Amino acid sequence: MYSLLPLLCLVAPTFVAVLCLFTLPFDFLESFYSRIEKESLILGTGLTLVIVMAMVPDALAGMVLETPLLALRFDLTNAAGLLGVAVIFFLTSIYNIKSETGGRLKPSMYNFFVLLFQVCMLGLLLSFDLFYIFVFVELTIGVSIVLVAHSRNRLASESSYKYLIITAISALFVLFAVLVVYVLTGNSNLLALEGGLGVIQENPQLVALLAACFIIGLGADIGLVPFHGWVPDVFPASTPAVNGFFCAEPIAFILALYKLVKPFHHALDSNLIMVMYLGVGAASILFGALMAFSQRDFMRMMAYTSIEGFGHMLLALSLFTPLGFVAGTVYIVNGALMKMGVLLCLGSVSIMYGTNDMDALGGLVRRMRKVALIYVVCVLSVAGVPPLSGFYSKWLLLSAVNEYLLPHGTMVTVLVLGAFVSVSMVSAVYLIRSFQWIFLGRDRDEQKIVSRVPWAMWLPPALVALLAVLIGLQPWLLLNLIGVS
Amino acid sequence: METIVFIALLTSTVATLLGVFSKSTKQTIALMALQAAAIGFVELMYVLVNLVLGLHMEALVKFIASFVEWFSAAAISPLIIYWGMVRTADTVDKPLIDVRRGSLIVAAIVLIHLGLWVYYYQVIPKQLEALPFISLMFTLSVYLMVTRRDPLKVLVGLNMAENALFPLLARSPMVVVPFLLVLMIFVNIVGVFIVMESHRDYGSMEISDWRLSR
Repeated sequence: MYSLLPLLCLVAPTFVAVLCLFTLPFDFLESFYSRIEKESLILGTGLTLVIVMAMVPDALAGMVLETPLLALRFDLTNAAGLLGVAVIFFLTSIYNIKSETGGRLKPSMYNFFVLLFQVCMLGLLLSFDLFYIFVFVELTIGVSIVLVAHSRNRLASESSYKYLIITAISALFVLFAVLVVYVLTGNSNLLALEGGLGVIQENPQLVALLAACFIIGLGADIGLVPFHGWVPDVFPASTPAVNGFFCAEPIAFILALYKLVKPFHHALDSNLIMVMYLGVGAASILFGALMAFSQRDFMRMMAYTSIEGFGHMLLALSLFTPLGFVAGTVYIVNGALMKMGVLLCLGSVSIMYGTNDMDALGGLVRRMRKVALIYVVCVLSVAGVPPLSGFYSKWLLLSAVNEYLLPHGTMVTVLVLGAFVSVSMVSAVYLIRSFQWIFLGRDRDEQKIVSRVPWAMWLPPALVALLAVLIGLQPWLLLNLIGVS
Repeated sequence: METIVFIALLTSTVATLLGVFSKSTKQTIALMALQAAAIGFVELMYVLVNLVLGLHMEALVKFIASFVEWFSAAAISPLIIYWGMVRTADTVDKPLIDVRRGSLIVAAIVLIHLGLWVYYYQVIPKQLEALPFISLMFTLSVYLMVTRRDPLKVLVGLNMAENALFPLLARSPMVVVPFLLVLMIFVNIVGVFIVMESHRDYGSMEISDWRLSR
C-alpha cells in the first residue's frame, strides 16, 4: 500500500535535527536553545517513536507500507527492528537529560548528530535499494565517529580514528559489491534482485565474492570477528548516552546485512554463504565470550559481550529458514534493548564513581539500590535466565538450530546445542560475577560522598528491565511484530 | 580494453604504487591527486566528447556529474587532507616494512593480480574489464594504510582505495552521485578533524604515540 509514513519516519527526525543546527549561527538563538536542548532531542526521538507506532497496526494487519520512489518499505520483516531502534533512542534521550554534561560538540551539533544517527538506523531498516543502503552505511560511519569523538575522554581520539579507518575501508567493500551488482544487472532494488540476479547468477564465484564483500563490509561496522578491532576501544571511550544510542546499531546493520545477502544465498546453489555467515558468527561467539571473561573494565567487558551477542544473532540468521529469521530478529531486538539497559546502568556507575574498573568498585548496592536491581534484571536477561526475555530469545535460537540440524543427525545436533549452552553458561558466569564485583561485597570507598542517581538515569533502564519481564512472560508481544517475507 | 583507458588505469596504478613508498605526507597527497586525476580523466573525456557531439541536456547533466566526481576526488579530498597537514605536520617517515621487503610484497601483489587477470580473463564480463586494475589499486592502497604510522598518510591510503572504485562509481545512477560525494568529503573532514584534535592533545602524529600517552 502506498504510504508516506515510512518517509515521514525519516523526515521527522531530520527536520528536528536541521532545526537544532539552525540555531548554531545565531547567538541569541543558541542561548535560547541551551535551555531546551535536552527537550528538543526528546521531541525528535519521541516524534519518531510515535510515527513508528502509528505504522505498527497496519503491519499487524498484514499490510505493506511503501514509499516506492525512495524504495522505503515497512512490514513485519522490519517492524520489530524499527520499533526497537525508536524505543532505544527515545529512552536514551531521556537518560541523556542528566548524563550528558557537555563534550567537544556544542549541544545543537550533538543533537543534530544523534538525530542523524537515528535517521541512518531507520533508513537502513526501511530502505530496499542498494545505493540508499550504502548511503546510510557511509553516513552512519561519519556520524558515529563524530559522536565517539564528542567525548572528552583521553581514549576518544584514538578510538574514533581506529573506528573511522576500519569502518571506512569496510564500507568500500559494500560500495564495490553494490556497484558491481548495479553495473551487471542495471538494477539496485533488492526486492527485484530477490527474483533473480541475472548475469551474476551465471557466475557462482562472483556471487560468493559479492556476498563476502557485504559480510566483510557490514561485519566491520557491526564489530564481528575478525573485524572487531574498534569495538573494545570505542565502548570505554564514548559517553554513557552515546553508548546507549549505539545499542541500536546492531539492529539496523545485522538486519540490513541479512537483507543484502539473502538474494545471493538464493542465487547460489550451495551453502557457501551460510558457511561464511556461520564461520564469522561462531568465531564472534567464542572470541567474545572468552575475552569478556577476563576483563576488569566493565565497558570492555560489555564490548566483548556485544561481540558474542552479534555472533548469536548472525548464527540464527545464517540458517536462512523462517524460524531462523524469527529467532534472529527476536535475539537482535531483545539483545539490543537489554544491552542498553546494562550499559545505561554501568554508565550511571561510571558517572557517579568516575571509574570503569570493577576491582576498584564494590558494595554499591547500598548506595544505588534501584540501579543494582535494574542491572541484575537486565544482566540475567542477557545471560538467558528464565523467565526473562533473554531466555526466550535463546530458546528460540536453539529451536531454530535444532530444527535445521536434526535432519542431519542427532549427534551433530546434540554437540552443537551443547556447545551453545556451554558458551551461554560462560557468559552467564561473567555477567553475574560483574554484578557481584560492582554491587555486592565491601564498599571500597566508604568515605566517598556520592549523590543519588537522578530519576532520568534510572527510569529508562528500569523500563527496559520491565520489558525483560513482560516479554519473558508474554513473548507474543514481540513475536507478533515479526513476520517472514 | 581501449588503449587510452589502459594508459589511464596504468598511470593511476603507478601513482598508487609510488604512494606506497613515498616519504613525506605532501608527496603522498600529491600522488593521491595524480591517481584520482588519471583514473577519472578518460571518463571525463568521454562525457565531454558526448557533450560536444550531442549537445543535449542529458549529456550536459552527465558531464557535470562526472566533472564534479572527478574534481572532488582529484582536488577537494586532497585539499582537505593538505589542510590537515598544514594544521599539523608534514611528517617524513618510512613504511613500517622496509623498502626491500616492501618491494617484494608489492611485486608479489602485482604478480598475483596479473596471474588472476590472465586466469579469469575470459570470465570477467565486459562491463568489469577494469576490475583487475581496481583490485590492484585497492590492495596497494590497503597495504599503504597498514604500513604507515602517520594518520594523514593512512587517510590518503583510504582515499586512494576509494578512488580505485572510480571506474565503477562513474556508472552509478545520477541521483545518488551527490550523496556519495558529500559523504566521502564528510568522512575526510571527520578524519582530518580527529587527527588535528589528537595532534593537539598528544603532540604527536604517530597513532602508536596516542596509545602510549593514555
